[in-house]
Amino acid sequence: MTKPYLALGLAGPHLVELTESRTLLSRWDALPVAFSVLGIDRIDGSLPASVTLASSAAGATLAGATKNGRFLIAAAPQRDHPYNIARRVVSLAHLSHGRSGLLIGVRDAYAPEGPAAGPAWGGAGLGGGAPLNAQTASDAAFAVRALEQGWPYDSIIGNRETGILVESNRIVHVDLNSTFSIAGPLNAPAPATGASVIAWHAATVADLPPADADSPIDLMLGNAGSVPVVALGAEPPAGRFAGILLRPSLEQSVGELLDVAERWLGDGFASIPPGGTLRNALDLTEPPPLAPTLRAAFPAPKPHVSL
Amino acid sequence: MTNKRSGHVILGINVLVLGYLPAAWKTSLLAKDAFIDPDYWANIGRTAERGTLDALFLADGPLLGDPAYDANPIRLEPTVNWGQVATATSRVGLVSTASSTFNDPFELAERLLSWDHQTGGRAAWNVVTTRGVNAARNFGMPDIPFRDDRYDRAREFVDVVRALWGSAATGRDIDFHGEFFDIKGRLRVPPSKQGQPIIFQAGGSPQGRALAGRVAEGVFAAELTKQQAIEHYRLVKNFARGNGRSPDDIKILPGLLLSLGSSEEEARRRSDDIHDAGPPSYSIAWLSQAIGYDASTFALDEPFPEEVLGPVKDSQTFLGSIGFRESIITQIRKTNPTVREYLKQTRYTGSGHAGFVGTPEQLADHIEDWFHAGAIDGFNLQPDRLIDGLPVIVDELVPILRKRGLYRHAYETETLREHFKAASPTPSF
Repeated sequence: MTKPYLALGLAGPHLVELTESRTLLSRWDALPVAFSVLGIDRIDGSLPASVTLASSAAGATLAGATKNGRFLIAAAPQRDHPYNIARRVVSLAHLSHGRSGLLIGVRDAYAPEGPAAGPAWGGAGLGGGAPLNAQTASDAAFAVRALEQGWPYDSIIGNRETGILVESNRIVHVDLNSTFSIAGPLNAPAPATGASVIAWHAATVADLPPADADSPIDLMLGNAGSVPVVALGAEPPAGRFAGILLRPSLEQSVGELLDVAERWLGDGFASIPPGGTLRNALDLTEPPPLAPTLRAAFPAPKPHVSL
Repeated sequence: MTNKRSGHVILGINVLVLGYLPAAWKTSLLAKDAFIDPDYWANIGRTAERGTLDALFLADGPLLGDPAYDANPIRLEPTVNWGQVATATSRVGLVSTASSTFNDPFELAERLLSWDHQTGGRAAWNVVTTRGVNAARNFGMPDIPFRDDRYDRAREFVDVVRALWGSAATGRDIDFHGEFFDIKGRLRVPPSKQGQPIIFQAGGSPQGRALAGRVAEGVFAAELTKQQAIEHYRLVKNFARGNGRSPDDIKILPGLLLSLGSSEEEARRRSDDIHDAGPPSYSIAWLSQAIGYDASTFALDEPFPEEVLGPVKDSQTFLGSIGFRESIITQIRKTNPTVREYLKQTRYTGSGHAGFVGTPEQLADHIEDWFHAGAIDGFNLQPDRLIDGLPVIVDELVPILRKRGLYRHAYETETLREHFKAASPTPSF
């Protein structure tokens, strides 16, 4: 029987504690867990803690200050737009060499709701807005994935003879028109390491994302998914799971979490060797590329002469 | 010169990805994908810090221009990009541009303060309103709002962000109701070492300068002539005074496009070589966008048509920067060049932002001259190509400025706000 892997669920105060301590960062980086969620309390229905950090800010610190640890940033389209989320997801993937991914949520516990008529993105004051529900979050995840794939990495050719840096005619408009109307393209190429992992959290079956053959969700966290959440101090649940996500309470420290994780890794949980991409660590397949029918964003570049 | 200013200048670097010239990527010093390589960015940070520079600056916009020949349109998200660089550095300030038009003020306030906390109080937010229909179409809008509307929104956006940063310190909710935003809540991000990020404003429109005078602590200006720079310096400092602030609370840093060499000839050759390696359509397209006319229709060997040099017909729909346009028209009127001459001249005098081609010694003279003339508090230097241009600033220009008493020998302050406070006070005018 394959052993389950271990993952860590960090809440707001843990992000502050971890990123302020070189010792903890070093321990975290050496731990052979599959991944950590940065700010799981932002999207799992928790009440807000006394402190937190924007998940991507903590992710940027981890991308620079560590070499091996893998992580998911948490975001929800409540006061955040998929284009802006995609930018941070793709930037982190480049800067962490593929160690990062996204946990998309329906609501953001730390953010005030927008207007009643359109609480998702409606607070940005640009008109529109959408309901705060699973469909909106799913559409946001779909947009992030499409935007990330819209500019193929191998279109960067850097040909000094012709003067062409990027075969930009291979970059496409995504032309989304669901909850979010987005033309694209994104202003950064797809990561060389492949598409970022996108995860969803479902405590119960009622929290599952809408069934969709084109769903971009790679990984289902929570008790209704393949990686149930276990409170730090509790015993691992019986049954077969891909992994277990260990979640300390707000009062428990990152040090205590790492102590228990180290113990569990020596006793029944699979070590995922540190380093490498999150997608490879979880043995997830690369999603299919975008449809070849999407319209090109730019004309085919031609070799040039000087003025 | 009498009554010389005391203290030192502020030196920032506008990191236009690989450099301001489109062909910067062609050097063998860079891998073809250096613009997304964390080691490239960490090296920029460490090099700047070796020169005790004040800040690194990143432009931004939520849209993609054609990257076929140029890495400049390619943009990692600045708070993430500088967040990673912050782990490789400890003192240099980090300025991120973010749009007040295409963000939610709560989310951006939380992101910026979190990033400021993570950098140890070295962060600044450069507020822009973003131009261009392509950005609007990424956010479900058919077009961008008119300039006045964008600035009305920007004013309120900045007020909400500042109130939210204040809420992180007090722990009390804000209850804001304005024309654009209704927000009841607070940030739960720990205050940073400098309290909250510095606010920058870029651009020279009347609305932009008014916003700067009210809230900005730094201005990234566009100036071609010293006299114009002195006028604008006084104008913005007076705006600050009019808002009950000290002129020292706002630092003015014009951009300066640079090509440096060990002799003037070598610097010109370097500039020519990197220019010639780039596509000419770029300068024509840039000029078209900057002046609001299709420059590809102009006869290259004739002077500019008179109607082009008049005021903007409709400032609400004009997509360029009014500050840049003003600088360019002033320059063209001064020498009445042909279009081709102008496009070639701008290799040496800049376009919108002033340009400088020469030796580090000559650049030190230029900085000293503008500094003592009361035209600047410092410069935001924009190397033609960063990978080998930034080390020249750090290892050759900075030591000259130090010898002249114009720059510090080591970091004496930790946060960006402290770096700014430690710089030369505003001269009397």
